[in-house]
Amino acid sequence: MSAPNLLFAGLVLVFSVLAVAFGIVPATQATLNGFAAGAYLGLGALGLTVVLGVLKLVNFAQGDLLVAGVYFTILFGWLGLPLPLAMLVAMLATGVLALITEKLVWKPLRRAGASHIQLFLSAIGLALVLRFSIQFVAGSQVRTLGANIVSSVTLGPLRFGTLQAAALATGLLAMVLVGLGLRFTNIGKEMRAFADNRALAEVSGIDTARIIDYTWFASGFLAALAGILYATSIGSFNPNFGVTLLLSLFAATMLGGIGNAYGALIGGLVIGLSQEWSTLLFNARWKPAVGFVLLILILLLMPQGIFGKALRRS
Amino acid sequence: MNATTDIILDVRDAAKSFDGLRAVAGATFRVVRGSITALIGPNGAGKTTMFDLLSGFARPDAGSIILSGHDITGKAPHRIARFGLVRTFQLTRVLAGMSVIDNMLLAAADQPGEKLTSLLAGPARARAAEAAARERAFDLLETFGLKAKLTDYAGALSGGQRKLLEIARALMTNPSIVLLDEPMAGVNPTLGRSILDHIEALRKEHGTTFLFVEHDMDVVMTRSDHVIVMAQGQVIADGTPADIRSDAKVIAAYLGGGPVESTAP
Amino acid sequence: MSIDFWINVAVLAGIYGIFALGLQLNAGFTGLLNFGQAGFMAIGAYTVGLLVVNFGWSLWLALIAGIVLAVVAAVAVGISSLRLRADHFAIATIAFGEIVRYVLQNAQFSGGNQGVLGFDQEWRVFTDWLLGKLAIIGLDRYTQLPLFIVVWIVFAVMLIAISALQRTPWGRVLRGIREDEDATAALGKDIFAYKLQSLALSAALAAIAGFFVALNVSYLYPSVFDPTFTFFGYAIIVLGGYASYAGVAIGSLIFWALLEGTRLMDTALSAGQQASLRFVIVGLFLILLSRWRPQGILGNHEEMRVRS
Repeated sequence: MSAPNLLFAGLVLVFSVLAVAFGIVPATQATLNGFAAGAYLGLGALGLTVVLGVLKLVNFAQGDLLVAGVYFTILFGWLGLPLPLAMLVAMLATGVLALITEKLVWKPLRRAGASHIQLFLSAIGLALVLRFSIQFVAGSQVRTLGANIVSSVTLGPLRFGTLQAAALATGLLAMVLVGLGLRFTNIGKEMRAFADNRALAEVSGIDTARIIDYTWFASGFLAALAGILYATSIGSFNPNFGVTLLLSLFAATMLGGIGNAYGALIGGLVIGLSQEWSTLLFNARWKPAVGFVLLILILLLMPQGIFGKALRRS
Repeated sequence: MNATTDIILDVRDAAKSFDGLRAVAGATFRVVRGSITALIGPNGAGKTTMFDLLSGFARPDAGSIILSGHDITGKAPHRIARFGLVRTFQLTRVLAGMSVIDNMLLAAADQPGEKLTSLLAGPARARAAEAAARERAFDLLETFGLKAKLTDYAGALSGGQRKLLEIARALMTNPSIVLLDEPMAGVNPTLGRSILDHIEALRKEHGTTFLFVEHDMDVVMTRSDHVIVMAQGQVIADGTPADIRSDAKVIAAYLGGGPVESTAP
Repeated sequence: MSIDFWINVAVLAGIYGIFALGLQLNAGFTGLLNFGQAGFMAIGAYTVGLLVVNFGWSLWLALIAGIVLAVVAAVAVGISSLRLRADHFAIATIAFGEIVRYVLQNAQFSGGNQGVLGFDQEWRVFTDWLLGKLAIIGLDRYTQLPLFIVVWIVFAVMLIAISALQRTPWGRVLRGIREDEDATAALGKDIFAYKLQSLALSAALAAIAGFFVALNVSYLYPSVFDPTFTFFGYAIIVLGGYASYAGVAIGSLIFWALLEGTRLMDTALSAGQQASLRFVIVGLFLILLSRWRPQGILGNHEEMRVRS
């Protein structure tokens, strides 16, 4: 049985057990919440995995790009744009912001032949600058995106916030679109080829600089989308939500295998489902801890991820 | 090979796959103690993977590797090194940010100062071992013409000097067998010849065994006493240079089919 | 500006100097990216606080227990994660730091965000005694002076000890691992054991630093040990220079003088904004120094050059 089938079977099995133990309605509710979480984790992890695959860079600032997307939305809303438009502009702006970090920080460092540690510390420095610049301007208080977070829709016995339902639908749609884009567009194919094997992609004549630029823009754009999905499905947030999500994003990235774009989407879903399912078993405040524990388990037990291949040394 | 010959390395049916690709597919061979043995074969024959298996950098999927009577199959690199097998790498790996002398001293075996407990319990013993190691290192660096570079960073050496340092450092461990992965690659011919002269001298003086991967057939045929030929992950021939030269399988393995000598660059 | 202010800067520089010595041992001399140092610091400090408050232990005995527990945690983290690739290890240590923070915030035993209070009577007795002595030379006005003296004596002793250790054959193996762990393993060194020792020693230093942090704020709560503080340590290292222990002392002094100095600026910023600004500055330090002066102030430029 192949790994994806095994994974799918495993998830169905867990769901069945939960449905029997806690009832079909709570289990389904948790599962739908899990899909919503999976969408933002998957889309957030996508940027992380492609940057890691293409540039061998662990972008510790990814979580803060999610935050930037949300606060850009607030900014553009405050400037008078209607919320959906503000979100779109915020996504574009975050894409541009990620591109700026490439031009200002990453490209010069690569040119200078920076070591591992220089790259790591720059990424962490960038994360701090982003997070605390946002806090400096917007404060650290809890905010909402300004939309009605109380209204809800019901579907039989299941209940959703309207926004949460919209986030779920948008997130799943975005995942499908991104998946199709990676599969069928030229840039998507090139990006995957590049992330999978940079040397091979380079000799096969791919325009390196262009791919790198697209990668950063896409990474920022999708991070903002992920952040907005988070903000809408959770309802309230502060500028620290990115760093809290970062480890779950890592978990999704590792689970899917580094550089594997589809893997990141599926990894995000698995992590999201696990976290939401865990709320049936433990107090919901331990939800982030489930992400940490999963990350550690993945690192220890399957560092190549579900779809990864064993790497050869020396 | 008769039963009385002293075998230092005995490899049986070793196999290793990466991603379903059989890099080494059941290779069997022996290396005689005190010999200079060449490991040759076309690109992709599995020579470097074989080195990884022998030195513990890859764990064989099957088969066994016996070093001087010890089963070292799948053991960690440092444990294999302590049994007396030391290797160099295809791409030279000097410790760039350390001085030449520190590269050498690091390689010294049995330095009690490397363990925190014995270091704190007997600093005098550590100092004595250090002094002895320093003497040995000076001798080896003298031999390899690196004495003048003692305090230079290894990373500041030229390519050829790095190669020499890596070999000198390997010898510093007091090995019984040294695995050299393309010791001549990227080295000018004069330096290459002097490396080979050192190897012969060391074998004569200390009885050290050498197993080396090499592409230059002239070198292989004139400098080794024994040749092992790998192709597609298996050992296809094994014998003296003269045997190998006339072996039909070997000639077939090297595309073009001509005499083996002509494949030298 | 008062002398008290600068004494406080020096106290912080000393405490985080001890903290960063461990990181220097890991990152600068072993090539280990330990991003969980704040977690070890928290474990040390909370062990001290909880043992004294809940179990009536002596502060000094509790300090030893705190160091031991931090080392045990380092061994646990190390055994599970040190065999991973460098970047995976870094991520695993970040996860460790987050787990520690999360547990401290949410668990019963640690008092959650209320924290732990009232563990430092013995310290205050000592402080009063020392201030009494200082009164002889008229320095008893500076109430932070005893902490300053003790922290810097400990820092100096640790700095000298670890520098000496670094020059031994043991330290040389660590440097070999930093340069190329495969090549070092091929020479017969058990690199895993050395990395574990490096991490454990570093955790012990973090626990000592945590002890002093606890005494300095006399109150333990999770945000004092936020995982972000690990990166204060790294900022100190890049400032002072990689692979230089003396650089840690200088880096820490400059770092804290600059960071605390921002408080002196007469600005209309709110307290929250000032706090944010400090973190932005730390972030900029990390980015700019990594780019423009990766060898820091005392780091060896030649060594950096030949390594790349």
